[in-house]
Amino acid sequence: MRRLYRTVAMSLSLVFALALAGTAEAQAKNELVVVLSSFSGETLDPVLQGHIVKYYLSPMFDYLVGTTPDGTPSGAGGIATKWENSADHKRWTFHLRKGVKFHNGDDLTSEDVKFSLQRAIGKRSTTGYAGPLRTLIQDIETPAPDRVVIVTKEPTLIIPTYLSRSLSTEGMVLPKKYIEANGDDAFARKPIGSGPYRFVEQVTGAHIKLTAMDSHWRTGTPKYKHLTFRLVPEEATRIALLRRGEGDVVEISRERVAELQKEGYPMHFRKEEAILHAYWVLGPDGRVGPTKDKRVREALNLAIDRNEVAQSIFGGHADPAAIPMGLSWSFPAVGFKVTPEMQYAYDVARAKKLLAEAGHAGGFSLDIYAYQLPGLPEGKAFAEALAGYWEKVGVKAKLVPVDYAAYRKLWVDRKAPEAVGYYNIANRDWIGTYALLEKMAYSPSKANDTANDAEVDGMIAQVMRQTDRDKINTLMRNIYTRLRSEHVGVPVVYLHSPYATSKSLGKWTPGTVMYDLFLEQLAAGK
Amino acid sequence: MLRFILSRIVQSLIALAMLSVVVFILARATGDPLHMIMPMSATEEDFANARAYLGLDRPYVEQYLLFVGRAVTGDFGTSIRARRPVNDILRERLPNSLRLALFAMTVSLAMAFPLGVLAAVKKGTSVDRAAQVISVLGQSLPSFWVAIILVEFVSGRLQWLPAGGNEGFTSYVLPGFTLGWFVVAGLMRLLRSGMLEVLDSEYVKLARLKGVVEYRVVWLHALKNALIPVVTFAGIYFSILVTTAIVVETVFAWPGLGRLAYEGISSRDFPVIQAVVLTTAAIVAVVNLGVDLLYALIDPRIRYAR
Repeated sequence: MRRLYRTVAMSLSLVFALALAGTAEAQAKNELVVVLSSFSGETLDPVLQGHIVKYYLSPMFDYLVGTTPDGTPSGAGGIATKWENSADHKRWTFHLRKGVKFHNGDDLTSEDVKFSLQRAIGKRSTTGYAGPLRTLIQDIETPAPDRVVIVTKEPTLIIPTYLSRSLSTEGMVLPKKYIEANGDDAFARKPIGSGPYRFVEQVTGAHIKLTAMDSHWRTGTPKYKHLTFRLVPEEATRIALLRRGEGDVVEISRERVAELQKEGYPMHFRKEEAILHAYWVLGPDGRVGPTKDKRVREALNLAIDRNEVAQSIFGGHADPAAIPMGLSWSFPAVGFKVTPEMQYAYDVARAKKLLAEAGHAGGFSLDIYAYQLPGLPEGKAFAEALAGYWEKVGVKAKLVPVDYAAYRKLWVDRKAPEAVGYYNIANRDWIGTYALLEKMAYSPSKANDTANDAEVDGMIAQVMRQTDRDKINTLMRNIYTRLRSEHVGVPVVYLHSPYATSKSLGKWTPGTVMYDLFLEQLAAGK
Repeated sequence: MLRFILSRIVQSLIALAMLSVVVFILARATGDPLHMIMPMSATEEDFANARAYLGLDRPYVEQYLLFVGRAVTGDFGTSIRARRPVNDILRERLPNSLRLALFAMTVSLAMAFPLGVLAAVKKGTSVDRAAQVISVLGQSLPSFWVAIILVEFVSGRLQWLPAGGNEGFTSYVLPGFTLGWFVVAGLMRLLRSGMLEVLDSEYVKLARLKGVVEYRVVWLHALKNALIPVVTFAGIYFSILVTTAIVVETVFAWPGLGRLAYEGISSRDFPVIQAVVLTTAAIVAVVNLGVDLLYALIDPRIRYAR
């Protein structure tokens, strides 16, 4: 028996000794560790996923057009140092930075840019904006190694932004020679870019490891030699990693913010990172049922206490939203202002009155699909709240638990007319917002449309063809105003996304570019 | 013996063939994977392109034959979600699961053996009762709860052990203990009841009468004969630990097979689902065969050859 005790004691001592050794090792690392709850598809090839993998692809690749952390296109942050368009707005010339090399030593030239763009709009691509670019681009010319000309079928202003860091991954420049020599699959396994960090290792479901180039034009000599992205789905584990000093930038939920702030961990927010927007699924021929009536749509909006939702479900880290699909990062650029009258009041009495006027004093049945989404762990709680608010005004809300993929099929196939779905739409600049509206509020898009409004359709069609920026701004303002006045959806709140950082990390601005944390700025020695 | 092994291998192959049909059908019944990977802005043309590129536009029979044809050569195709060869992903995940399961099984055996034997030898005493409480708690406390408590306190607050990942020996301790403790109750109870039966048998009484020292009677003569059900149970649980430790793998960010299965199912990644299910079935078959062979080793009276 004594021998047993001795063995147990020795084993425990060994475990603790090893643990202490592990902690010391972690502290000595010259490594920036970013801990996220999801890596989405975990693909390393920029054309195979799109914007949601930008978190870990942006340090590895350069974009044709760089942006500042607030999403403004900038000649200082991308391969193109400047660009201009022809008088007819159909030829965009990009002047490329000289002396840029890929991680394997190959020079980056206009041929790489052409190859990358052709690949991004190719049939294999599943990036966010491959479709619109495919429709728009007629030809890509390479008159010199440091010059690329993109010729479009229609006059347009959108090319630089579509190929910039502010949107998806279509603008990432890939190594033509390497991919042609080794094939797509080899590139996807061991990608090579020209960014400040090069790929080292990926273990799916666990981590992606990058190592800094000795010096890079974007970052100078790096502060951290290694940049590691760790995938940790469970929040308690992510927080434990932060407390143990094994995580430097840690994605956390809104409900744990106060606790970690109390412990002294710096908190960084991506303010209004997404709008939480609910909508009614259209039927095969458009809107059906009671929500066809504008008064009903307004009533359902008035029945929601947005301040309470922000406080009770999102821990106060959200603000009421007023414009359906109104992505606020786009407002300043187009000169749109949300007036106090546009904010939806919480007015149950008026909601009931509007329903009665519309002939639904006794209420009606409404299915609400309840699902979780990446970045929205509160998804199901939100659906329950929505049902609760609407029941108060007499609507018989029925929650339908489902996973998002199943719901999305019903939505795009229009098999659940009038049912309610929701999405945390990532905030973006005006072109990104336009691209979103062109899918979610444009009848010719058919599958994804949620607005079914001829007036909005007409204005969206004009934006694409318009080359006068002032007129574009007016159109965008009018679209927002119309979406609001017709109550085409239920804009609920703008969500702020918190990231806790280690106490020694220093200053960091996560920026306002969708799905991009501008981490290399944190790692930069510049 | 050889005949027995061959017949078990043939049975396993038939089971795997039947399973391949079932998993192929059920995986596709879960929905369309493109709705998970295509962006919201994707057009119908984008969907058609992706479907063609991934081979999902082909008739089901053709897809099945392609899957089976590749699987028999050990190629499970390309993951729809990660766009990498499934074999590469399995090679990353399977060893992690095997190592963790081995560690967990060692933990559970290390706890169950002394507890089970002591509980039988000291039947009805406080030692017996304490052993039963420890083992029952392991099974009645949900794994996710134990895992989160350990992460919060042992790792996050006391900072003794890593919270997640699989880098170094210390990272095995918390997930291994969480998994292992769950198995302790079953092992300990089997061992206790087996030992009680054996300790009451004639040959044990004879050994004591002949003056054999008590620890040899208990730990050598009696224990060996109480082992058969324990080995069966441990074998079954080892397969379960390798393949279905989803909760523990998720909490401890352990990149294993269980989480891979979950990721595959939640993203409708057919090739991954198919690969994981068939690999799991193969592991169960191999472990069961190993357990059968162990019987003969433990008890020479058991012979398989006819």
